[in-house]
Amino acid sequence: MSPRRMPLVALMVVALLLAACGGGEETPPASAGGSEGATEVSGSLFAFGFGYESGDEIAKVRVDRFREEYPDAKVSFSESGFEEQPFLSALASGEPPDVVNLPRNTIGTFIARGVLAPLDDCIAQQGIDMGVFYDAAVSQVTVEGTTYALPEFFNSRIWIMSNKAFKDAGLDPQELDVSDWDAIAEANEQLTKTNGNRLTRIGIDPKLPEFLPLWSWANASDIISEDGLTSQLETPGVAEALEYSNSIHEAAGGRTKFLDFRDTWDFFGEENQFAADQLGANPFEQWYLNVLADVSPNVDITVRPFETRDGEPFTWSDGNAWAITADADNPGAACAFIALMTAKDTWVEAGEARAKMRNKENKPNLGVYTGNREADEVIFEDLGLGKWPSFEQAVQTILEVQENARSIPPSPAAAAFETAWISAVDGVMTGGDDPAEALAAADQEAQEAIDAAAR
Amino acid sequence: MAVKDREIDRSYIPDIDRPQEATQPGSRAANLATRAFFLATLLAATALFVYPLIWLLSASLKPAAEVFSSDFIGSEIRWDNYTRLFAMAPMLTWTWNSVIVSFLAASTVTISSAMVAFAFAYFRFPYRNVIFSIVLATMMLPGAVLMIPQFLIWDYLGFNNTLFPLWAGNLFGSAFYIFLLRQFFLGLPRELFEAANVDGAGYFRMWRSIALPLTRSALIVVFIFELKVAWTDLVRPLIFLRDVELFTLPRGLKAIIDNPQIGGQQQWELLAAGSVIVTVPMILIFFAFQRYFIEGIATTGSTGK
Amino acid sequence: MAIRSTDPQQHATGPADEPKAASKRMTNRRRELLWALIFMSPWILGFLIFMAGPMLWSLWLSFTDYDPLVPVTNFIGVENYQELFSDPKIRTSLWNTVFFTIFNVPGTIISGLVLALLLDKVGRAAGFFRTAFYLPNITPAVAVGALFLLLLNGRDGIVNQILRSVGLPGPSWLNDPAWIKPGIIMMMLWSVGSTVIIYYAALRNVPQVLYEAARVDGASAWQQFRNITVPMISGAIFFTLIINTIASLQLFTEVYAMFFGSQQSGAAGEAALFYVIYLFSNAFEFFNMGYASAMAWLLFVVIGLITLVQVKASKRWVYYEGAE
Repeated sequence: MSPRRMPLVALMVVALLLAACGGGEETPPASAGGSEGATEVSGSLFAFGFGYESGDEIAKVRVDRFREEYPDAKVSFSESGFEEQPFLSALASGEPPDVVNLPRNTIGTFIARGVLAPLDDCIAQQGIDMGVFYDAAVSQVTVEGTTYALPEFFNSRIWIMSNKAFKDAGLDPQELDVSDWDAIAEANEQLTKTNGNRLTRIGIDPKLPEFLPLWSWANASDIISEDGLTSQLETPGVAEALEYSNSIHEAAGGRTKFLDFRDTWDFFGEENQFAADQLGANPFEQWYLNVLADVSPNVDITVRPFETRDGEPFTWSDGNAWAITADADNPGAACAFIALMTAKDTWVEAGEARAKMRNKENKPNLGVYTGNREADEVIFEDLGLGKWPSFEQAVQTILEVQENARSIPPSPAAAAFETAWISAVDGVMTGGDDPAEALAAADQEAQEAIDAAAR
Repeated sequence: MAVKDREIDRSYIPDIDRPQEATQPGSRAANLATRAFFLATLLAATALFVYPLIWLLSASLKPAAEVFSSDFIGSEIRWDNYTRLFAMAPMLTWTWNSVIVSFLAASTVTISSAMVAFAFAYFRFPYRNVIFSIVLATMMLPGAVLMIPQFLIWDYLGFNNTLFPLWAGNLFGSAFYIFLLRQFFLGLPRELFEAANVDGAGYFRMWRSIALPLTRSALIVVFIFELKVAWTDLVRPLIFLRDVELFTLPRGLKAIIDNPQIGGQQQWELLAAGSVIVTVPMILIFFAFQRYFIEGIATTGSTGK
Repeated sequence: MAIRSTDPQQHATGPADEPKAASKRMTNRRRELLWALIFMSPWILGFLIFMAGPMLWSLWLSFTDYDPLVPVTNFIGVENYQELFSDPKIRTSLWNTVFFTIFNVPGTIISGLVLALLLDKVGRAAGFFRTAFYLPNITPAVAVGALFLLLLNGRDGIVNQILRSVGLPGPSWLNDPAWIKPGIIMMMLWSVGSTVIIYYAALRNVPQVLYEAARVDGASAWQQFRNITVPMISGAIFFTLIINTIASLQLFTEVYAMFFGSQQSGAAGEAALFYVIYLFSNAFEFFNMGYASAMAWLLFVVIGLITLVQVKASKRWVYYEGAE
């Protein structure tokens, strides 16, 4: 080879080596839009709906990793959770963030509005295999075959039962048949405790209005079609689920007494409703176990999966997702950022940081449900929860049920849809509306919104 | 009953420096027993008004589980409610933002309103009364009508998500304060200005060196009033501010109410602490400038519309 | 208002000086006008840019479907206004707002008057009480909302603790739709202090001679109240009536802080949906600015009509002595 060709060959060799290493430890810099040759990940990058300073170690470790990998890129954050109004107003005034972290439940609205960029090129550039994410998560960020965001976190709902309360009522949390709605109702009666006219323990909190989808799925009914375009709120199964779950409040002396009592709970503190024996059981999101692990690690609870009335364990999952805005100033860096934030190794590092922190505080480490199967495998391999059997059992239960997760499909009027059924449930709960009528009205409202947004 | 004008003191020019305390000791007060009864009733009423604030303070220092109790002091005094709050939310930044916005709002509105009020009080020009009526009429405009276009204007000028629109509207004066200050300027003897005129002073000099110093008390009233209005405003921060770092204290407190992670609905002791922090500066200012507040309100009522 | 002075322009000393004085007057007039404009310029600018302009713009917006996030804006005529009549939330929010106003305004006036009358009877101690009554007014509205979220808790709030201690049941102020508005009315009555101060000042301005003359004529306390006090302070009552009505119809901050925003509102979503809150949410949460502008103009008309009625009715009972 002539001397002039050497550099060219060297370049080819280096390129081949980089390509071989790509998709693994070191993600090569790439641009989101798919272009000739790799671009430097640099410049400034603004992420909306996320906090670094205000974030926990899981957030900080991942961002630190990005800063290490791409020292030329300056990422800054809105230091707030995602809120629709500020996000839309930022877009409206021509100052869009580059990336946005938003709940998977409402991302459909923004996809339909065209404010988020399709990620197919970015995914290809970064060599991401979408199969590493749980199906229930991916289906929430994919519309008509195109992916618009990368899932972050997998937030499942399970039964959390207070062993103390159950024992007090002469029940066994492991034995309760949670597929039998009559059994649940009866347990509710037995677990409710009053002191004269004053409610001192709620038996079962059905978590209305938020958990209507969960009760509907248990009753073999979906609240919305799989393609997110048809509201199914008026299905009889949904009304039945609403009526049943709402009736649970009666044991506490009515909805308002129930709500008043619940308002007084020290939710995030040491005297939380489990530690203070103010609740028998409720379906709840698994992140609350992290709260318990932090403030009352020795709490005595049993965690069990939710079940359909046919006895099949399942869960309802959602979480967040990272998307790139269509008008982003720096799509290249944006793509690298979201890819790294949801990559297996980043998650593993974050999980290790949490483990270290918890061990130092001598508190149980419950891991982190990342939504990324490969990351979960590593993180949950050995959490060292021997000292806290309640949590050990809890973590296992959740891991197992993740594969059988349902999620709400993205719809073009996701926010309006949610508002519609939540208002309907509120009306039933506190206004005494008839469930079937309220849902029928909500169905019509929601369908109109979806149709309007879909055109 | 027919009443002659002469018999009534119509000095509608409010006099800040003679607070309207009771100057006729015996005649208004009824006999001792009835007086005691009235005092007792008033004391009971006072409790109604003051107790919630005292309770708020005590709630902010209680452990979470005892927040709702009626004891003055909980089982332990939790100063850490405040430290935790400061750790979870950027309270200091918010306070600083509030201070800046309030002072700018108060200063600009005082100066600009004083200018405009002087125009209506001193100068004579055609249609003066018509224009002044228009000024008064603008007081009746519901803010809701102007809210949207004003937002669009500030947005177009590029001031969205900045502190500027929170106070810059005051550069143009405010009808209410113009009305108030005009009253005071009208009370100044015109001879003073004539003397200055003869000495060759310009109008601006007259305004600055004669009118303003002589109505110092009224200017303080305006300043203090607007300070309170700007400090406690929630609507403008809601509309214009996006970044958490730019929030003013009231907006920050609202964010705390909304967000369970920084306090929120289930961490009542932190919410109480936050409320105390937002309120205390106002209470301090109130006690320091009490008579200005009271006189200001009394004036607006007595001059009617 | 007395403008205590003579016309400074009268410097003319004789007929010979007339033309010169006349021209001097002209230049002086122009000079005055110029300076008057300079001094008024802040307000004039503000009025044009931030009031007159926006008013017209807002009117125009109300006939469009303007959404800042949608590139195309269409002129849709009176469609927004038609929607105002078919939108159930408009009815709900108007009802909530009017209901509140009907109770809050008379409540404020009556309790303000009672307290002011009491203040008038205690001589020098009035100053202390006056300060105490005004403290709630100085509390930022958001803090008031937060405070009442705590005080009104159905199970453990202080209000219900007090009610139960005297044997009354404590309703669920925050979760029961029937009691949410009464709770809000209670919260806003807490701020009656400014009204008390206005009435107290007005009461102090009532000349003693009137009462003495009445006593001589043998009038009872009630007759004195009805025939002297009320007419003499009717100006202040009228003023507070107008101001409080307008403010009540636009109630926003306290209720928004408590029940709305980015968290779900539950029962309050309907029962506490006040008109300006619904307007705000249409404008800045759904970005339907055209519709929201129509809402704003409807509010303007409603406030205008109510105020007009109040002013007309005032001729019957507000007592003005002599010419203003």
